[in-house]
Amino acid sequence: MFGVEPAIVTPAPEKKREPSSGAAMSELLVRVAVAEDRNAFAELYSFFAPRVKGYLIRGGASPDLADDLAQETLLKVWRKAKLFDPAKAAAATWIFTIARNLRIDAARRASKPALDGEDPALAPEPEPQADDVIERNDRDARIRATFKLLPDNQHEVVKLHFLEDAPHSEIAEKLGLPLGTVKSRLRLAFGKIRKELGELDA
Amino acid sequence: MREISHHPKTETLAAFAAGRLDEARGVVVSTHLTLCAQCRTAVADFEALGGACLEMVDPAPMNDPSMEEFWARASDQEIMPKKHVHRAANDIDLTAVQPLKAYIKEPLDQIKWRSIAPGLAQHVLDAEGYRAGVLRLLKISPGTKMPKHTHGDEELTLVLRGAYSDEMGVFRAGDLADLDDDSEHTPMAIGDEDCICLIATNAPLVFKDLVGKIVQPFVGL
Repeated sequence: MFGVEPAIVTPAPEKKREPSSGAAMSELLVRVAVAEDRNAFAELYSFFAPRVKGYLIRGGASPDLADDLAQETLLKVWRKAKLFDPAKAAAATWIFTIARNLRIDAARRASKPALDGEDPALAPEPEPQADDVIERNDRDARIRATFKLLPDNQHEVVKLHFLEDAPHSEIAEKLGLPLGTVKSRLRLAFGKIRKELGELDA
Repeated sequence: MREISHHPKTETLAAFAAGRLDEARGVVVSTHLTLCAQCRTAVADFEALGGACLEMVDPAPMNDPSMEEFWARASDQEIMPKKHVHRAANDIDLTAVQPLKAYIKEPLDQIKWRSIAPGLAQHVLDAEGYRAGVLRLLKISPGTKMPKHTHGDEELTLVLRGAYSDEMGVFRAGDLADLDDDSEHTPMAIGDEDCICLIATNAPLVFKDLVGKIVQPFVGL
């Protein structure tokens, strides 16, 4: 790496972490799992914590609550790293599900403080699947490619579906569209993604 | 394990993956998922889509970018060891699966049923912590036919034990009926044991005929 000094000394542009670096993120997480590697974790943190915070703010949390929950999300990532299985999910996917569940829990606490802390497993513990890491990466790549190629209006509603907490009716209102249009765009988009993956529609 | 023949709609799985379902429907879907590898894969795919969306969120800078506070919090928490995953047995007891255990405290045989009509009994579970939704167990005696009804909005029904049949086919343990306001059905318990279903609704059922209309106020459906 440092063997030959490059002729022109310009700092390498910091690699912009586009979704394509998903596999690299998963490798960082595996390093955390195997060796409790704090440097690897710090890289994950600097990328994901602000995005998780942004996600929680979009879900209606105040900036301070979002900051706290984003930290809690990353704390779970640190504590549960050994449970991460790259054959089941990419790092971004896994972190998304942790943040999603915390968002649900926070809303539950707000609406019903009496409920005990036991998470009723809205995300079930998945059983091992035959998919290996390569298959999972391949599926993710196809999902991302299909997502990218969706017409803008479908791409937009899919993003809102995952990031906003508001019901579809409110999303429709914001976009100035009938609810049926939002629903049919989502149906089309989800159908394309499942078709791309060779799934039969249920 | 028997092949499951009735699954949630694609949109329902995508809503589950996004964390959009109310608690009652979330429990029904996650119970189905513990049995259905095909739907688990679909949910994993939609979660991957969620992961892709998360990466696109405009970052909101953290209050503590140095992570000092973070490592302080982390230092008094234990790192969880790698876990052994138990594969479900073939004749899995649906009420003992993880998602449902938190809601059904006693074995199905010891549940206190409230009779709501001849051959029909229900037991309402507490799942109103997150968004509006009602979760209940419904017990239909063999041969009992439920009055024809539509669904104000959306209903998810998962068969836990026994079987019923309706206009859409035969539903057995693990099968899930994902019904909306367009669907109208007349389920009837078949076989010789009680059919026990886990039902999530977010609107009252609407009965279509006189018998149903008379029964409805008592049923509390």
